[in-house]
Amino acid sequence: MLWLWILLAAAALLLIFGVLGYNRLVRLRNEVDTGWANIDVQLQRRADLIPNLVEAVRAYAAHERAVFEDVTRARAALQGAQTPGAAADANDGLSGALGRLFAVAEAYPELRASENFLELQEDLTDTEDKISAARRYYNATVNRFNTGVQSIPWVLIAKPLGFNAREFFSALGDTAPPDVSFAPAP
Amino acid sequence: MTLQEQIRANRLRSFIVVFGFVVLLLVLGGIVGLALDISLGVFALVIALAYGIFGLVRARSLVSRLTHAEDLHPEAAKPLRRLVENVSIAAGLPVTPEVRIVDDAAPNAYAAGLRPTKSYVGVTTGLLATMPQRELEAVLAHEVAHIRNRDTYLMTIATVFAGVIALVADIGFRSLAYGGGRGRRGGNVLVLVLAIVGLLLAPYAALLLRLSLSRRREFLADATSAEILNDPEAMALALRRLEADPTRVRYADASTAHLWVESPTDRVETDRQGVMALSGLFNTHPSIDARVAALEEAGGFRLPEVLPAAYEPFGREHGLV
Repeated sequence: MLWLWILLAAAALLLIFGVLGYNRLVRLRNEVDTGWANIDVQLQRRADLIPNLVEAVRAYAAHERAVFEDVTRARAALQGAQTPGAAADANDGLSGALGRLFAVAEAYPELRASENFLELQEDLTDTEDKISAARRYYNATVNRFNTGVQSIPWVLIAKPLGFNAREFFSALGDTAPPDVSFAPAP
Repeated sequence: MTLQEQIRANRLRSFIVVFGFVVLLLVLGGIVGLALDISLGVFALVIALAYGIFGLVRARSLVSRLTHAEDLHPEAAKPLRRLVENVSIAAGLPVTPEVRIVDDAAPNAYAAGLRPTKSYVGVTTGLLATMPQRELEAVLAHEVAHIRNRDTYLMTIATVFAGVIALVADIGFRSLAYGGGRGRRGGNVLVLVLAIVGLLLAPYAALLLRLSLSRRREFLADATSAEILNDPEAMALALRRLEADPTRVRYADASTAHLWVESPTDRVETDRQGVMALSGLFNTHPSIDARVAALEEAGGFRLPEVLPAAYEPFGREHGLV
């Protein structure tokens, strides 16, 4: 009789462990999705600012067509990006194109002094800061989720259950954030 | 701990705290009722309940009034709002908390509010005038961490309950002093002594419970700030700079001390040793040294002995102060 009880207890424990672990993975995955949605909002906001910016510069430097086309193309690439990695690359591409646009703007003191242009520039800087803030959160959630699905025993069954490791939104210069959580000192 | 685990742990702890306070309150009401008068015990509990509910509902604006915090002028403080937005996004908060300004020369900050969506961060003008952007961001991230980790929620509940218990104990003492417990006084000295001891100790038990909650949280919020900004050094620098400033917040007392990023009341105690170190039990915050050491260990860096002196405070840079 005893072995039956032991077997039952073991099965119950396994079930509890499985349910808790599964729920944890679901929670971690939802955090990743939220994190990605946050980045997406900011990327969209950045893309929305571009047409106005291009128009503002075009009013003073209509002949710099190549630069405008570059920026417009980079913007389209960003909006068409399907994966976090591709979006990060497209976002970097847009930064490069914008850099050239601002270099053009440098040559026109009236443009640089115009209220509209200054405001757009400020909004753009702000959006870039927010993208990098959202990236930190997103990458942290990806880090936790990936650690979850890649550790034993979940690495064996995560894939069949539909938990695939996610891609980091990595821009130049930094990758996964370091794990700085520590236990409080006594 | 992940964000969700941390939040759930805090929810559980909140529940335990509420439960502990309710038990403490019932025992206290029972003492008052037994030693003095049943109706008085019931009366004290009813008053306590009403006070507690009122306190929880009004907590947000109450804290704001206690600390003399004022709403921010939307245009004037755009740069500051943007900083708070950025750290909230990096912390994964669904809603950016409001910012309120406390007109006070002492650099300090706090967070308050029951729900994350209805919370706010209070900063002193002194903080804006002292901190460069990098460190200000670290302090804001620390406060946002309190909101995200549901610390503000827990602390608000704890504060209200501690107040309730003090109130009930007070009612008990007053009625004792003004001839309560008619007819029992002669016979039951033991009950009376027990009542007095209980009434004396209850507020301290409540205080200890509240403070022990608050101190561990500071380490956690420091760590979260470091994680949010990916910059543990900024938080450590900010703490040292807070410590270096000798001014204290004017409108801060025992009722709000645990809310601030740096304790406005118990700075002197941190150097005591031996028997006097016991008084550390009643500190609302761990010492700055301990907090900086924890950050240094996690981040793998050492702060220089002397803080970098040449910098432009954020408030100056943006014409806020």
